[in-house]
Amino acid sequence: MLEPHSMSQNQRLRHDRLTFYKEDIDQIDELLSDFLRLSGAKCALLIDKDGHLVTKRGELCTIDIDTISALVAGSFAATKEMARLLGEEEFTAMFHQGERDNIQLSLVGDRTLLTILFDDRTTVGMVRLYAGDTAKKLAAIYQAAMQRDPSGSQLHEAFGTDAKSKLDNLFDS
Amino acid sequence: MVQINFALKEVNCKVVFYGPGMSGKTTNLEIVHQKAPEENKGELTSISTDGDRTLFFDFMPLDLGNVAGMRTKFQLYTVPGQVYYNSTRKLVLQGVDGVIFVADSDPEKMDENVESYANLIENLEEYGKDVRELPHVIQYNKRDLPNAMPVAEIDSRLNKFGVPTFEAVAYTGEGVFPTLKTLAAMVLESIEKMDGKAPRRAAPAAPKAAPAPKQAATLDAATVPAPAPAPAPAPRPRGPARPVGARRPAPPPHGAPRLRRPIPAGAPGRSAARSVGVTRRGAAIAPVAAPAKRGSVGLVVGLMVALIAAAAGVAYFVYGTPQL
Ligand SMILES: Nc1nc2c(ncn2[C@@H]2O[C@H](COP(=O)(O)OP(=O)(O)OP(=O)(O)O)[C@@H](O)[C@H]2O)c(=O)[nH]1
Ligand SMILES: [Mg+2]
Repeated sequence: MLEPHSMSQNQRLRHDRLTFYKEDIDQIDELLSDFLRLSGAKCALLIDKDGHLVTKRGELCTIDIDTISALVAGSFAATKEMARLLGEEEFTAMFHQGERDNIQLSLVGDRTLLTILFDDRTTVGMVRLYAGDTAKKLAAIYQAAMQRDPSGSQLHEAFGTDAKSKLDNLFDS
Repeated sequence: MVQINFALKEVNCKVVFYGPGMSGKTTNLEIVHQKAPEENKGELTSISTDGDRTLFFDFMPLDLGNVAGMRTKFQLYTVPGQVYYNSTRKLVLQGVDGVIFVADSDPEKMDENVESYANLIENLEEYGKDVRELPHVIQYNKRDLPNAMPVAEIDSRLNKFGVPTFEAVAYTGEGVFPTLKTLAAMVLESIEKMDGKAPRRAAPAAPKAAPAPKQAATLDAATVPAPAPAPAPAPRPRGPARPVGARRPAPPPHGAPRLRRPIPAGAPGRSAARSVGVTRRGAAIAPVAAPAKRGSVGLVVGLMVALIAAAAGVAYFVYGTPQL
């Protein structure tokens, strides 16, 4: 693996974007649905480390996803920093216990966080058991996606001009 | 890092307001939250001390709407400016796509501005990023101060790379939107340029992270250099300068309570009298059902309480998860 400091400019730019294609997300969604069924958890969010949602499954109607994603990523980043200070390489999982709702976070690959919300309809043991398994399978999906040829999805060529007019609408109104 | 999600049909970008303590970063975000159309903005969440100093970050999603078939969103963050909070400040920078550096026009704050800009460069370097390749702009805030340093002078001390600059009086809203608009355009332009050379890879990341906040090699190839910033106008503040409220000479690291300038109409002020607070202010981005918002607050607060517990060393860390 390349260290950022030793990278060429092209390699560095390759870092600068995270792209998810539908065929991969479909597989991930299926995996997450299986996980929810087996574990009895309420919902599963896959969030990238920068705090953006990748995909979600389950009962989500009452959640402000953008904010949760930002807070989860921030919280995980803070924990990771604590781990570093303690000489651990990284905590690979975190558990937040509430009175009714709980959150379990597991690191998947090195860029995404599997975030599981569950309540007293299941147990942390069940969730952890299946989460570990799911995280492994997710990592395998990522690996496979890395090997494969890209699907060719691309931003529409009008993206730039359309973006400009949307910015005008938003900020000059 | 820009996330392009062809499954959700979304483009997500992360924008960070950076700068020294008390320069007006949170105020910028509050104004954006106040003035952005209802359908474009999400809630504003602030993790701050009882003195309204930012402790971890403020956060607000801003939705540009459907851009050529992709729902395009900016996740806006502020950092804590106080020197003391560098560890959390650095965390907020992870994956940043664009920076608005909010400088204080007070001549006494010039050293702090310079120091904070150097700190930005240093923290970006830790993520393997070069500030010259990152879309960023500088905002000269507090132009209403009677002794505000002349723009040319701050410029010569601070703007080493000749990026676009803006004059602002953040607490009146002056200059806030022009600053954000230009930065947003620069970020979107950088995506477009990258995309010009075809995306490559699909999902994320090779297994097992390197230590420290460095990022691992991954994903799609993007072969075009970041755009040179477009020159942009520096709007002069209009209208009468406001008297300066509640500024104090040297704020203590943990922020004594201070007066907030009145934020007009309907915007509830920051919560007072909590040692560490999570403040949320409403507005919904379309698919998040409005009535559901209340329900989310408990969960978010629960999460934050857990975070704080973690910070106090009480959290329950699980080691047993399989290595990936
Ligand atoms: N005179 C003047 N004061 C301003 C202006 N904008 C913001 N302020 C005041 O500056 C103080 C600090 O503003 P914040 O937005 O909280 O500063 P910050 O950069 O978020 O500070 P940290 O969170 O500690 O990093 C507040 O009292 C604001 O009302 C301005 O344009 N002129
Ligand atoms: Mg602040």
